[in-house]
Amino acid sequence: MTETLAALGSLLRRLLARRGPALSLVFLTLVALAATFAGLLPLDPLAQSIADSLKPPSAESWFGTDELGRDILARVVYGARTSLITAFGAVLIAALVGIPVGLIAGFYGDWRDSLLMRCIDVLLALPNILFAMALIAVLGRSQGAALIAVGIAGIPGFARIARAQVMALRQLDFVMAVRSFGGRPGYIMVRTLLPNILSPLVVQAIVLASIAILLEAALAFLGVGVPPPTPSWGEMLRTGKSYLYEAPSYAVLPGLVLTLTILSFDTIGRALTAILDRDETDASGATIGGRR
Amino acid sequence: MTAYVLRRLAQMLPVLLIASFAIFAMIYAVPGGPVAVIAGENATAEEVAEVTRRFGFDRPMVVQYADWLGRALTGDFGLSLHSRQPVLQLIGERLPATLQLALCAIIVALVIGIPVAIASAVRPNSWLDRVLSGWSALALGVPTFWLGILLILLFAVELRWLPSASRYVPLWQAPLDAVRSLVLPALTLGVYVSGVLGRFLRASLIGEARADYVRTARAKGVPEKRIVGLHIMRNALLPFVTIVGLMMAHFIGGAVVTEAVFTYPGLGRLLIQAITTRDYPLIQGCILVILIAYMLINLAVDMLYAWIDPRIEYR
Repeated sequence: MTETLAALGSLLRRLLARRGPALSLVFLTLVALAATFAGLLPLDPLAQSIADSLKPPSAESWFGTDELGRDILARVVYGARTSLITAFGAVLIAALVGIPVGLIAGFYGDWRDSLLMRCIDVLLALPNILFAMALIAVLGRSQGAALIAVGIAGIPGFARIARAQVMALRQLDFVMAVRSFGGRPGYIMVRTLLPNILSPLVVQAIVLASIAILLEAALAFLGVGVPPPTPSWGEMLRTGKSYLYEAPSYAVLPGLVLTLTILSFDTIGRALTAILDRDETDASGATIGGRR
Repeated sequence: MTAYVLRRLAQMLPVLLIASFAIFAMIYAVPGGPVAVIAGENATAEEVAEVTRRFGFDRPMVVQYADWLGRALTGDFGLSLHSRQPVLQLIGERLPATLQLALCAIIVALVIGIPVAIASAVRPNSWLDRVLSGWSALALGVPTFWLGILLILLFAVELRWLPSASRYVPLWQAPLDAVRSLVLPALTLGVYVSGVLGRFLRASLIGEARADYVRTARAKGVPEKRIVGLHIMRNALLPFVTIVGLMMAHFIGGAVVTEAVFTYPGLGRLLIQAITTRDYPLIQGCILVILIAYMLINLAVDMLYAWIDPRIEYR
């Protein structure tokens, strides 16, 4: 466990050495802090005041007010909660289902592999957003439904990565050693293989977080996401779109925060992938000096 | 080739069967389900029982499914619960609009994406490459609905050049009107897809540029333009086409959202309407049609392979 933590720590250091990922991390930390401690800020996302509706940004309300006179900045801050909760929950659901599926499929590689991977293929064949919308049509609009719909969309990613990693490792000496000492399949999968495939799974979690936030916002924009009055960035864009002439900043500012959040997750995810890829090619010595 | 296409089409049938059954089962699982919609919110127990019996909802689910399937095979997807019009007719009215938008978006994506990919792959890690790769990341990361809103703000609200809500005008009837209506949605969707094209085509071009045959061509003195345009491009297109095929799912998702932004009367908006009004036969029909379209596009992508790479043979 300490080794894994140390590996993640060194990954973080290398990440911070680059400007894009470092800035992304700072921004995400800010968003996460705002979402966590929103209650401590002098902001109320639900206080209505019809007289002050659709005001442009000003000193009192930095982002302006919405059609019910609610403070848009407050709703953006509380909307971060909705976004991050959905992202976190969806990644958790996807990991809890996808990683065991990938471990089992990759470890055994027999009929269990074919069966599980066929199921994953079916999930992969359906456009994410369609599947999520159909599911919400059945479950009804709620935070839980949005979470599950987005989470299921992330299962194939985890399953495929875990499977590919396990298949690369399962014939290596250290795994064979545990096996010859009488390690049971469950023990090997969880205690021997899983710690060794953690890095790519962490990267996948970050990539998935950016997809989950986008998908949640898209569902809310289409009017099938987390139901009002819970503030949600996608929902704000949906309403803001009706007031483009009266209050252009209404749709622009929440969208900017949403976009920066998605881009930050994506930037960090891609930077980590690049770092891991480089480690791999360095280890095998394959393409050193391959640059023109 | 013909035999291959026929077999692929035959393989689609079981998938469609499973998918249609799954959708049917999901809708069946909803508490109340279609009965609640038909009978209305304040229906008495007798009214609910009456609707249940009259529409045959009291039969076992498998029997209901077989009944629906039998009719679907003859082209009868039932009536919309709200407008009481045939589902297939409603879908048929919207399909051309979606196809027209998709076509224009793909053109926009190719026009932006391919030059971006080539320009950045020719000199990897140069400043131009970094700028263009940044562009691809931006195109992929910016939510289509926010980009759409920004474009409306600029071109419709500020400059007043283009309409903020798009109508469907067939291109062959009034080309100018159609283009005015299509520019913004096609740009929104096309920019997103161009990000996909740019990122993956760049990677696959750079991979090919390191291959031995490129060195040989250079040694023979083949002009650089010809090497990139003919040798590298042709080989790089293959993995690229796979990815474009895989991305089709995202493309369809993007189209649903884009149609919502511009209130464009396509299939995506019909589906959203159906979901918000719980119009179950319409939901079923829309999802099936989109799924069929998705599978046909994938088939087309596989056939493109054969055309790009004659080494691949389909039996």
